[in-house]
Amino acid sequence: MSSSAIETDTSDLVCQLDNVQGIVDALSTVRWKRHQDAVVELSEHGIVLIVEETGCLQAKVYLQKELFIRYEYTAQGRPRFGLSLGLFVDCLNTFSVPGHSSSIEIQYPGPDMQLLIKSADSLDDCIYAEIRTRIPETISWDYNFEPAGSTPLSFTVKSAVLKEAIDDLEWPGSSIQIILKPVPPSVTFRGEGHGDLQIDLMYYANTDLLIAFHCDHEVSYRYKYKFLRATTSNVPSNVIKDNRGSKLTIGRGGMLKVQHLVSVARPSASHQHIDSAGYQQPSRIAYIEFFVKPEEDEDTVND
Amino acid sequence: MKFKAVVTENGFRKQALFEDYRISSQNEDRIAFAFDISLLLRAVRSSVSIISGEFGIANRLQVKLVKKLPPNSTQPMPFLTFETKGYKSAVIQDVPISKPLSRAQLLQLQAALDAAQDLPPTLVQVPDSNRLQNFVDRMKHVGDLLNVSISKYGDLHLQISTTLITLGAEFRKLLVVGDKAQAPSEDRDLSAQTRSGRAILMGDAQSVQGACLTVIFQFFIPGTRQTDKSISLHCRLPVLDPGSS
Repeated sequence: MSSSAIETDTSDLVCQLDNVQGIVDALSTVRWKRHQDAVVELSEHGIVLIVEETGCLQAKVYLQKELFIRYEYTAQGRPRFGLSLGLFVDCLNTFSVPGHSSSIEIQYPGPDMQLLIKSADSLDDCIYAEIRTRIPETISWDYNFEPAGSTPLSFTVKSAVLKEAIDDLEWPGSSIQIILKPVPPSVTFRGEGHGDLQIDLMYYANTDLLIAFHCDHEVSYRYKYKFLRATTSNVPSNVIKDNRGSKLTIGRGGMLKVQHLVSVARPSASHQHIDSAGYQQPSRIAYIEFFVKPEEDEDTVND
Repeated sequence: MKFKAVVTENGFRKQALFEDYRISSQNEDRIAFAFDISLLLRAVRSSVSIISGEFGIANRLQVKLVKKLPPNSTQPMPFLTFETKGYKSAVIQDVPISKPLSRAQLLQLQAALDAAQDLPPTLVQVPDSNRLQNFVDRMKHVGDLLNVSISKYGDLHLQISTTLITLGAEFRKLLVVGDKAQAPSEDRDLSAQTRSGRAILMGDAQSVQGACLTVIFQFFIPGTRQTDKSISLHCRLPVLDPGSS
């Protein structure tokens, strides 16, 4: 019996993946600065990676088990560990060969609680990595997203448009107001600072930009520009290329949820699929969620 | 970047590169000088673009060591001059170079060049250098100290090891040039790290080669898979940490 077989028996998770670049893209989306600690949670449904910026911004990447070609989960409870997101992404990136879809096997925990990764393509060439994990920091639970009322306040916009709008709001800077109005149905981004800039997305005027819109009463919240920017700054180019949409929802207290869909399909398979059906299998999508807390207004601070 | 060069009749197989070659100096027909490699690269690139832009016409590139009077100067300065004659244009480029190096400096440089020609006892051939380069390029984001080991079985093992991460790659069954050995059969199921550790213990691998890693780049004759024997690039990378073996 080889030593790897023994390790497998004691692992909480052994999974295999055939598109490393897709996972790199998905994880890079939530990498808004160089050094970031992430918490990883394993379950029978898949892997969730959570990143936080002190009390203002939280991001989650959902890698459902359907993304993996093999997913063997044997743990009791939901194991969690901390690691450096930057190191994890840079490490996974070394497994990705341009123009090829490379497969890897991920295993947790190793003999010393490491995250073990190895290439699963060829017997003669092997890339392997062991990433030291940490006892996870506690995740703040005040990002629990609750709907603002009986009707959701949400809109879906082309990811490219959202990114461009937020990039354009850089020059007024600091604080950005998002306004949703039912009549006329529209979304407004307004920046005031070094100058004023207002971007209106009208629902009926151009359905190409604003794909969906739900709002029964006017709402307006302000968000810090740097946190809004973090939600789109690293959206991978394939999201823009595939012409996908991002969904923004405003919850109770003005908590903003931004959702992106990142394709983790094998490059060759995805082309076939787009040609034949015009869309990709939903199971080959990684879900990314950002939660941005609004800036506290002076009159709401005390209530 | 400063670069030192020796021009010598023996340095290149001169008939492979040059149609006509003349040199004479007091140092056994060798002249050495220092120059800025980026300027040389610019001159060569522009010569290549003139020549390749007018294919079909026998073009000539003439390289000369000259002394010229630069503008606003009374002192003649040494240059390496590139004269490119195309069908429609001719370009002369003067790359400034240092004064000729002394005999002692020249001998030192020649000794270093000769040492670079010494081949280590075991070399492995990596067929896909792009893949290796791509891998090493991405590895550098993870750490900057790379452990390299080469075994007589034809294994090349690269590894970065820091307190937070160990990342490595093993390429097996590569063509061995020089001393080779049969890999022990019980090694097959072991991990790359264990295997290279065992090979080092058995003396079948070295994690360092003297104090340098020798990398030799060979080139194909354009349009073929035949090695161009007239040119190869030898790099000797000094080892930062000689390792425990």
